[in-house]
Amino acid sequence: MAAGRDGYDVIVIGGGHAGTEAAAASARLGARTVLITPDLDRIGQMSCNPAIGGVAKGVVAREVDALGGVMGRATDASRIHFRMLNRSKGPAVWGPRAQCDRGLYPRAVRRVLDELEDLELVQEMVSGLIMDEGRPRGVVTRGGQVVAGRVVVVTAGTFLRGKIHVGGEAGVDAGRAGEAPSLELAEALEAQGLELARFKTGTPPRVDGRTVDFSRVEVQQSHPEDYRFSGYVDEELPDQTVCWITWTGRELRDLIQENLPRSALYGGALSGRGPRYCPSIEDKIVRFPDNPRHQVFLEPEGLHTRELYVNGLSTSLPLEVQEAFLRTVPGLEEARITRMGYAIEYDYFPPHQLRHTLEVRSIPGLFFAGQINGTTGYEEAAGQGIVAGINAGLKALDRDPFTLERDQAYLGVLVDDLVTRGVDEPYRLFTSRAEFRLLLRQDNAQERLGPLARELGLLTPRQADALQRRLDERSRVLAWIRDSVARPDEVNPRLEEVDSTPLREPVRWVELLRRPEVSVEALFRGGEAPFDPEGDVAAAVEVEIKYEGYVERERERAERLREKAGFKLPEELPYMEFETISYESREKLGRVRPSNLAQAGRIPGVSPADLQNLILEVRRWRRSRPADASQEKGEAAAKAEKAG
Amino acid sequence: MKADTIVARSTPPGRGALAVLRLSGPATRRVLEKVAPELSAPPPVRRPTLAHLVNPADGSTLDRGLVTFFPGPASYTGEDLAELSVHGGVLVSALVEEACRRAGARQAEPGEFTRRAYLNGKLDLVQAEAVADMVDAQNAALHRTAVHQMDGGLSNRLAELREALVELEALLVHQIDFPEEDDPPVPVATVLERAGAVEAHMEGLLATAPEGELLREGALAVLAGRPNTGKSSLYNALLGEERAIVTPTPGTTRDALEARVQMGGFPFRLVDTAGLRSQAGEVERMGIEVARRYLAGADVILLCLPVDMDWGEPEDSFVAEWAPQVPVVVVRSCADRVPSTDGGAEASAADEGASDVLGGAGDVPEGAGSVAGRVMASARSGQGLQELRTLLGRLVFSGLVKMDAEAPVLTRRRQREGVKDARGEVAAFRQALRDGVPAEAAVSHLRSAETALEELLGVISPEEILDQVFARFCIGK
Repeated sequence: MAAGRDGYDVIVIGGGHAGTEAAAASARLGARTVLITPDLDRIGQMSCNPAIGGVAKGVVAREVDALGGVMGRATDASRIHFRMLNRSKGPAVWGPRAQCDRGLYPRAVRRVLDELEDLELVQEMVSGLIMDEGRPRGVVTRGGQVVAGRVVVVTAGTFLRGKIHVGGEAGVDAGRAGEAPSLELAEALEAQGLELARFKTGTPPRVDGRTVDFSRVEVQQSHPEDYRFSGYVDEELPDQTVCWITWTGRELRDLIQENLPRSALYGGALSGRGPRYCPSIEDKIVRFPDNPRHQVFLEPEGLHTRELYVNGLSTSLPLEVQEAFLRTVPGLEEARITRMGYAIEYDYFPPHQLRHTLEVRSIPGLFFAGQINGTTGYEEAAGQGIVAGINAGLKALDRDPFTLERDQAYLGVLVDDLVTRGVDEPYRLFTSRAEFRLLLRQDNAQERLGPLARELGLLTPRQADALQRRLDERSRVLAWIRDSVARPDEVNPRLEEVDSTPLREPVRWVELLRRPEVSVEALFRGGEAPFDPEGDVAAAVEVEIKYEGYVERERERAERLREKAGFKLPEELPYMEFETISYESREKLGRVRPSNLAQAGRIPGVSPADLQNLILEVRRWRRSRPADASQEKGEAAAKAEKAG
Repeated sequence: MKADTIVARSTPPGRGALAVLRLSGPATRRVLEKVAPELSAPPPVRRPTLAHLVNPADGSTLDRGLVTFFPGPASYTGEDLAELSVHGGVLVSALVEEACRRAGARQAEPGEFTRRAYLNGKLDLVQAEAVADMVDAQNAALHRTAVHQMDGGLSNRLAELREALVELEALLVHQIDFPEEDDPPVPVATVLERAGAVEAHMEGLLATAPEGELLREGALAVLAGRPNTGKSSLYNALLGEERAIVTPTPGTTRDALEARVQMGGFPFRLVDTAGLRSQAGEVERMGIEVARRYLAGADVILLCLPVDMDWGEPEDSFVAEWAPQVPVVVVRSCADRVPSTDGGAEASAADEGASDVLGGAGDVPEGAGSVAGRVMASARSGQGLQELRTLLGRLVFSGLVKMDAEAPVLTRRRQREGVKDARGEVAAFRQALRDGVPAEAAVSHLRSAETALEELLGVISPEEILDQVFARFCIGK
C-alpha cells in the first residue's frame, strides 16, 4: 500500500494562474482542497511576459478579483508600471495593464493562498488518475503517493507532453524552459477517451539591461494614478518604473527571411497550430512583409534585476540568428541575451468536451481549466481557474453549479466561446468577442459579480463589507448627479474649457454629463462634488449616464437573447437522427451538446434554418419518447377501462 | 424523427401533354423500386429512363413515363430526388401520385421542395423567395428579376453590403482592441464616408422596392372618364377578350372590373370603373365610390375621351384632382372615328409624370398640361394599343426600365423592411459619430445593421470580425 493522503473534497493539479485560482475558490467555499504542483517555489509563475491586464484582459483580471480571486491582489502587490490603455477613447473600453515584478508576483500569490485555512499545498508531480465507475476517486503521484478526492481540477498548462524548440534542433521535452514535462498525466487523461490536440506558442529572448543603449529607445512612462485591480483589499504598491519602445526595420526582416528554414516554426518541426496574435517575429515577417517596422517593447523583469523581456520578438530561430537580429534593433545593437527565445508545443483538450461549469462532459467530477483547454494568457487561465474551482467546490459540497452568461461577464464570454465554439488556435479574449462590451467594463466588474460572489460565500466578511461600501457609494454618486443642479456661474468656465456650450439656466448635472465632449473628470475637477471625480465609482457612473441609450440597447438585446435561450435542449438528444438538420450541424450539435437554443446558435456553421428545424425535431422527439409514450398508453388504457 | 419522403405534381392541374411529378427524401429509391420496378437498382443517375409505372398494390400498369433520378446532395432539394414525366391529364398523374404514396411517400405541402432546399443549404432565403417569384411569374420582368436573384444577384449584393459593414466594424474594433499599435487612427471622416457609401447602396436598393413589389403584385392601372367614352371597349381590347359588357347606353358598367394583364412586359391589374357622372342613380353611385377608391390606389390612370368628343370641364377637374398624385394618361379613344393622323403615343418625360403638352394626339387643350402622356387608340382597329401598353410599362416601371437587367431588385416587403432597418442603423451610426458618440458605443448600430442583413439572408456570422482584423493588421503586443 502506497503512502496516502485523504480527507480532501477537491484536488487541484497545477499551481499556475488557473490552478491557484481554482484552489483558492474551492477552499473559500469551504471545500477541503489540496493543490499539487511539481515545484512549490514556482506557484503563480509568470512564464511569458511579466504583465497582467490590457484591453479585455484587464476586465477579466478585475472580474476574477470581484469573485474573490487572487490575481487582482497579486497584481497590485507586484506591479511596477501601470498604463490605462484606450485612455483616448470612452471609459467603456479602458483597459488597465500592469507590468509586474516577476519575483514579487508569485510571492504575493503564495501569501494569499497561505491565508486560506481549507487549502493545503503539496509538491509532487501527478502521474495518474484513480478512476472508479467513470468518476475520479483521486490521483497518484510520481513519488508514489495516493491522494484521495472525488473532485479533480486539472490545470496542467503547457506541461502535457510539452516540447521546446530552438532553431532546427530536435525538440526537447519540457513543460517550461528548464522544467520537466508531464507525460504520464497526458497519457492517463487520454486513456479516459478524451480527444487531444496540439498547439504551439513562443517566447522572445530576454536581454541584459546593462547592455541596452537607452538613448536610442523611447521611454514609456507609467501612468501616475493609484489604480487598483483589487476592489476588496488594498495591497501596498511597489515603486514604479518605466518601459521602453523600439522598432524593428528592414534589416531584421531580411535576416529573418534568409533564416526562415532554420526556424522551428517555419522549418516544419512544430506540428501544432499557433495563434494569429502574439505571433512570432517569423510570423509577422511572413504575413506582413511590407510593414516597414514592428513595435518592440522592452519590459523590466523586476525592480531588483536589470533583465528585460523583449516583447514582440517571439522566435524559435537558433541563438546566433537571435543575436544577429537583435543587433539590427535600435538600442539593442550591443544587447547580450540572458535567455533565448523558444517555441513550445503542448497537448490540449479541445474544450467542446466541457460543460459550462468546465466539468468534463463524459467524466463527472473532473474539471479542466487554463491552457489545457487551448487558451493563452494569464487572465484567461485565471478566469477559467476560478470558474472551475467554484464549480468543483460546489460539486464537492453538493451545491448547485455556477455559470455566467455572455452579458454578465467576460468570463461568461470566455467559457461560452470555449465550450460552444471550440478553439482552432490558442484562444485569447478581445473586446470584439464580447457582443455586450458596453455592459462588461473594468469599472463595474465589482458591481456585476461582487453580489454573486457574496451570495456563493466566496467573500470574507471584510470583503463583503468593502463590496457593500462600494455599492452604496455608487448609488449615492448616481443619485447626486441625477438630482443636484449645476449653476451656470460655477460650471460655465469648465464647460468652456472643453468647448461645450455654456449654460444660461441651471440644469441637473446629469444633463451636462450626457454631452459627449464633457467627461466626469472635466466637469467636477476642482469643484465641490461630494465624491472623487477621478475615482472608479465616478468613471462607472459616467459610463452609465453617458451611454445610457446604448447600454439600454445592449440590455434589451441581451434580454432577447435570453428569451431565445429559454428553449432548452436536453443533454440526451439523439442529434444524429435529426435528419432535417444538415449532417455537418448534426455532428457539431452532437459534439457540443448545447444546453439551450442560444448556445446552439453560436456554434459556427449551425444555421438559423438548422435551429428552426431543431425546435421541430425536439418537439417531435419529446412526443415520441418511450417514457412519454408508455405514459400515453397508460392513459389510453385507463380511459378504455373507464369506457368498458 | 427522420425526414420523410414527399411527392407532388409539379406541373399545374388540367389537361396537357405531360405532367411532371417530383419525389424527394431518403426513401426516394425505395419508392422508385416499387413504382418503377423495371428500373435498375440503383436507378441511372441524372439520366431520363423510360419505364412502366405501376400500382404497387396489384402491379397493374398506370402509365409509361420518363424517370430521372438525382442522388443527394447534388439535387435541387439536397436529398435524393426523382422526377417522373407522365402523360398529361388529371387522372394519370393522380394515379401515379397515389402509387408513390402507397410506396411510402407523403403528399408534399405547398413550397415544401424549396423549403427543403433552403434547409439543406442549397438556397439562401432570398434565393428561395426568388424561386417562388419565378414560379409565380406572370410577366417577363418579374421572371427576369427572379432568374437573376435565384442565381444570387440580390443575395450577393446584400452579402457585399454586410461584408462592408463587418469590415468597418473590424476597423473600429481593432482600434479598441489594440490601442498600442503604431497604426495611425482611422480618421472619423473616412469611417463616415465608408458608412455613407454603404448607406447609399442601400438607398439604391430600397428605391427598387416600390416597383419591385409591383412586379409581384401587378401595378394598378385604372380606366376613368365620363360615361360612354369607350372605357370598357378599351379595357376589353387591352385584355384581348370580352370581359366588360359593352353597350351604347351610358352607365352600363356600374361596378369596377379587375383583371391581370401583362403590358409592355410588366404586370398590371387593369380596372374598368363606372363612368364618373354627376347625376347618377343609386346603384351607379356606389360604383362611383368604388371607382374613387381604385383611383386613390392607382399606379397609373387612363383617362378616356373619344376623339370626337370635346375636352371639357369634367376632364379639366379630373386632371386637376388626380394628376398631382399619379400619372394620368389621356387616351383619345375611338380613334377610328376620325381619319388617322399619325396616331401613337407621346410621353412627356415619363419619369417625372408631368410636363409640356405635346401635339399630335387630337385636340387636347390647355388644362391637360400636367398629364403624363397621351395616346390615340382604337379598340376596334387596334390602333395605338401597343404604344399605350409600352407607355404604361415605361411610366409605372420607369426605374426598372432604366436599370441594368442584372441589377438586384427588392420584390418583397420582407426584403424591403430588412434593408430599411439596416439602412436606418447605418444612418444612426453616422449620426452618432457626427454627434461625437465614441466609436465603441456607435459601433453597436453597425452590429444591428449586420444582424438585419443576416436575418434577411438567413445566415449567422461566426468569428468574422476577428478574421478580418487578423487578415488586415499585424498585431504584436
